[in-house]
Amino acid sequence: MQALLSYDQSPPIAAPFRFFLTAPVFGILAGVLLLWSGADLFASRWTPEALALTHLITVGFMLQVMFGAMLQILPVVAGANMARPLWVSGVVHAAITLGTLFLVLAFLSFLPYWFTAAAVFLGAGVAVFIAAAAYALSGIPATSPTIGGLKLSLLGLAVTIGLGVALSLSFGASLNLPLLQLANIHLGWGFVAWGTVLLAAVGYVVVPMFQLTPAYPDWFGRGFSISALAIVLIWTIADFAAPDSVSMFSSLAVVAVAALFAGITLNIQWRSKRARFDATQHLWRVAMCSALAACAVWLLAMAVPALGEWPGWPLLCGVLLLFGGFVSVIVGMLYKIVPFLIWLHLQNQGQGRVMAPNMKKIIAEQAMNCQMLAHFVSCALLLLAVFWPEWFVYPAGLALIVAHGGLLLNLLAAMSVYRAHQQKIAAVIAAQSSQPHP
Amino acid sequence: MTQAKADRVVDARNMEPPEPFVHTMEALDAIQPGQKVLLLVGREPFPLYRALELNGFEWQAEHAPDGTVEVLMWHKPK
Repeated sequence: MQALLSYDQSPPIAAPFRFFLTAPVFGILAGVLLLWSGADLFASRWTPEALALTHLITVGFMLQVMFGAMLQILPVVAGANMARPLWVSGVVHAAITLGTLFLVLAFLSFLPYWFTAAAVFLGAGVAVFIAAAAYALSGIPATSPTIGGLKLSLLGLAVTIGLGVALSLSFGASLNLPLLQLANIHLGWGFVAWGTVLLAAVGYVVVPMFQLTPAYPDWFGRGFSISALAIVLIWTIADFAAPDSVSMFSSLAVVAVAALFAGITLNIQWRSKRARFDATQHLWRVAMCSALAACAVWLLAMAVPALGEWPGWPLLCGVLLLFGGFVSVIVGMLYKIVPFLIWLHLQNQGQGRVMAPNMKKIIAEQAMNCQMLAHFVSCALLLLAVFWPEWFVYPAGLALIVAHGGLLLNLLAAMSVYRAHQQKIAAVIAAQSSQPHP
Repeated sequence: MTQAKADRVVDARNMEPPEPFVHTMEALDAIQPGQKVLLLVGREPFPLYRALELNGFEWQAEHAPDGTVEVLMWHKPK
């Protein structure tokens, strides 16, 4: 296999990894915020601390990993190479990291200049990423549902961030906007048109690939992304312009989109050819069940007035969707993507002379399983904290720090395997090139 | 594309990455000029195409109705 395993178009490993390694730090900060704020955070979804916590997870944790993964996924599954990936990733990473910190400071202080700074940094960082990704995808025909889905998800992200910037600026510059209504639309676009559409586009390839399941149904591949985006758009228009009943019906359709993805994914996972589930499969299964539970809570809150009046139900939905759903699925993806990327880069650098380590040995299975359990415990404690905040907020905060600290350690361990193997490659190649030619 | 045209077949439909890539590379390493390797895989293998291009191979890919992508590969004639 001498020179066979060399190909040079994969972005440098630093490009995705700077995002992956930053994400758990924001997870740890979310735990610290819980310890600092105490039970007050759970008074309603609109408390400054709840808003800060939400954005530490959505922007600090999720967006970082989503960008890192997209940088890598564009060339691998779509054949689309982003120009100057190190420059793009450096600028975007710095902007969204600072922007997230400014946004958290803004929620906790309610000082206008922090909101303005957050809007500028997050708006600029995301705009650069969208422009670079859209340019890379522009010449690529949508030959698979993944490519079409990735393109549509960028539209969803653009609207989400546009609304977020408008909301932030309305605090910074005292614009007269319908804040609560816009905040709901912002989260609808974020969770469904961006998050779920991206997850479906990527899941369409990586679920069958890494979990040895049957493929998603054809009709799902053909119609899901575009239908999801159309439904969110109709809901947005209805929310502003239509009577309450139409608006209600369209919001039901938005929730059904998320439930459909979760249901189909569980169904194909059920038929996986693998006898024993690994951490990724457990994390995906819990994520999909958690998303379905969030949809059920939403439905019940709409149908049962007594539950609908309880300020805790949106928090319950949020914990199920964010921590149980998105964080689980993202951790599950990282446990496949990170070892795979390290393997890919080492195989490439070894030039066929030094073989890459076994992919399954890059992060120890036991370390992944322990971290997964810590994450599930943190989700359970957060759910309990919604009902009994005084009792469970501190254990939940500590559990979040442990779970995300564990994730960070696992990722750093993978990086140290990478570095050690790189040195081995350098030594072998140096030894071979210093031998006199016959 | 029929399997009869190939000297070696790598059925990677039930393999987890990076096994399909590794097995394909091993198969390509073993064939002589004029011989062919057929890969059966559940998705379009973009990284493989780049590796083939850089390492002097030609290929032809077809999509079967069941979603399988069939990639036939051989040494580029010198």
